[in-house]
Amino acid sequence: MVYSEKAAKWVLSFPLLLFWVVMVVFPAGYAIYLSLHDVSMGQGMSSFSGFGNYLEILRDADFWHSIGFTLEFALITTVLELVFGFLLALLFNRSFPGKRPLLSMVLLPIMVAPSLMGIMFRLILNENNGVATYFLSLLHIQVNLFDPDLVVPLMIVLDIMQWVPFTFLIIYSGLQGVDPGLYEAASVDGASYWRTVLQIILPVIAPIFFIAAFLRGIDAFRTFDVIYVLTNGGPGNITKTASIYIYEAAFKSGQIGQAASASVIVAVFLLLLIPFFVKRLSK
Amino acid sequence: MKARKPWLTTIAVSVIAVFLLLPLLNTLMTSLKTTGDINSFPPKFTFAPTLEHYRNVMFAAGYDFTSYFKNSILLSVFTSLFVIVIALPSAYSVIRLGFSSGRLLTLSMALRLFPPIVFAIPYYLMFQYLGLLDTVTGLILINIFLNIPLGLILMVGFLQELPYEIEESAKIDGCNVYQILWKIILPLMAPGIASVAILAFIFSWNDYLFAVIISLNKATPVTLGSTMFITSWGIKWGDISAATVLSILPPLLFTFFAQRYLVSGLSMGAVKG
Repeated sequence: MVYSEKAAKWVLSFPLLLFWVVMVVFPAGYAIYLSLHDVSMGQGMSSFSGFGNYLEILRDADFWHSIGFTLEFALITTVLELVFGFLLALLFNRSFPGKRPLLSMVLLPIMVAPSLMGIMFRLILNENNGVATYFLSLLHIQVNLFDPDLVVPLMIVLDIMQWVPFTFLIIYSGLQGVDPGLYEAASVDGASYWRTVLQIILPVIAPIFFIAAFLRGIDAFRTFDVIYVLTNGGPGNITKTASIYIYEAAFKSGQIGQAASASVIVAVFLLLLIPFFVKRLSK
Repeated sequence: MKARKPWLTTIAVSVIAVFLLLPLLNTLMTSLKTTGDINSFPPKFTFAPTLEHYRNVMFAAGYDFTSYFKNSILLSVFTSLFVIVIALPSAYSVIRLGFSSGRLLTLSMALRLFPPIVFAIPYYLMFQYLGLLDTVTGLILINIFLNIPLGLILMVGFLQELPYEIEESAKIDGCNVYQILWKIILPLMAPGIASVAILAFIFSWNDYLFAVIISLNKATPVTLGSTMFITSWGIKWGDISAATVLSILPPLLFTFFAQRYLVSGLSMGAVKG
């Protein structure tokens, strides 16, 4: 009987299970299959190549560079976004005139597509009439921000401008859950504001920090849009993220087999991290 | 906590807000300038606004912006619809009927970890085989996949907060599982459903990676469509700005009108997932 709870359990989950098989299990298996074959775009499947693709990828300096850049980028942006998000959350964690509209304004950047943010930054950074160029020229600074030395810090700053609101939102909602009695107790004991914040509040909301770091970290690790629109991974391969690397290998060079094995390597790397995160998060 | 000088906080936060909104403000301003004003250096901060670029983007020949826009609407509406239709019943099945409790959620969390590019290659080849390349249907399928984990996690979170007693009394009154889900859970879950729908709408509206990979021209959504203004005939900054403003308008409007749902959705998704 479909009306029994036992049956309903399966009936109600059926769409998800079906979707899971079609969109997750099968493609994952297919990706592994592709990674073991010599496949290039347009020419279809050729021969089984064992771990040839993997060896090829692991020997590719470009691949390692993209992994290194992605990790560096994810680490630096996540740390800075946590710090700035926390400071902003502290500012918002008191009452002041205009708090509500300002909260809405601060959250807006989260809702903008990173690719469109990329276009907006192109406009700002444009060398002929961009606002950034203008203000730098007022300071008598003449630089090309897309210079190899400056392009990585530039990407980091732009990422921060878009995603500090996200870490802010999470940390702020954590701060609001802090027992107000804690502040009072601290002030009765004569602790200064910053001492209270660093020694009492910070430990209390540490789990929230961890969640914000985790979510931002993985999102930064998969960065594609904004960097692709702005630099295309260049100059050279300086800003090529792992996602851009795989995209180019598959859809520009047509090396489907090798790109698939690069995907598998990245996926396995993340799979190794999952148990650690799941354990921390389900606490 | 009481601030001693609340106005100082207002000023500090306003400065930060303006800094964060700089890209948006600059784009909005550029979209309203005449081409002459755009090209003047130093940049003009006061100017007579014009809507010519918006007219260009919407109506001038050579652009297909209206069809990009239509694609995005279809993509986002159907994605959020299907995410709810799939995630709500299975969340119910996990929480109330004990379906594989835990494992499904762990899997969803794991899925949220992978860079979507990992799935791009098999999807591309599968879609090529199935004739789904360059179709909005194909993009919808992928975006459902991308948004299911968040939808599931949020639904579970909201469900856990509903009191079970109402369902129990409905059961005693003779309702079966489906009737309970339809008549009791659905209305009670309205805020949760709204936040999942809005977030799925925004995230699928904002997708770019799969737009680049799957759509060639017929299925192009606005995110990709707006970047297309950059190359072909040189750069028309006014038109690009207008296209960008039009493209971010739906998510931004949503944010303003549904902020309550959005904030609870985002922070809850964070806390639970």
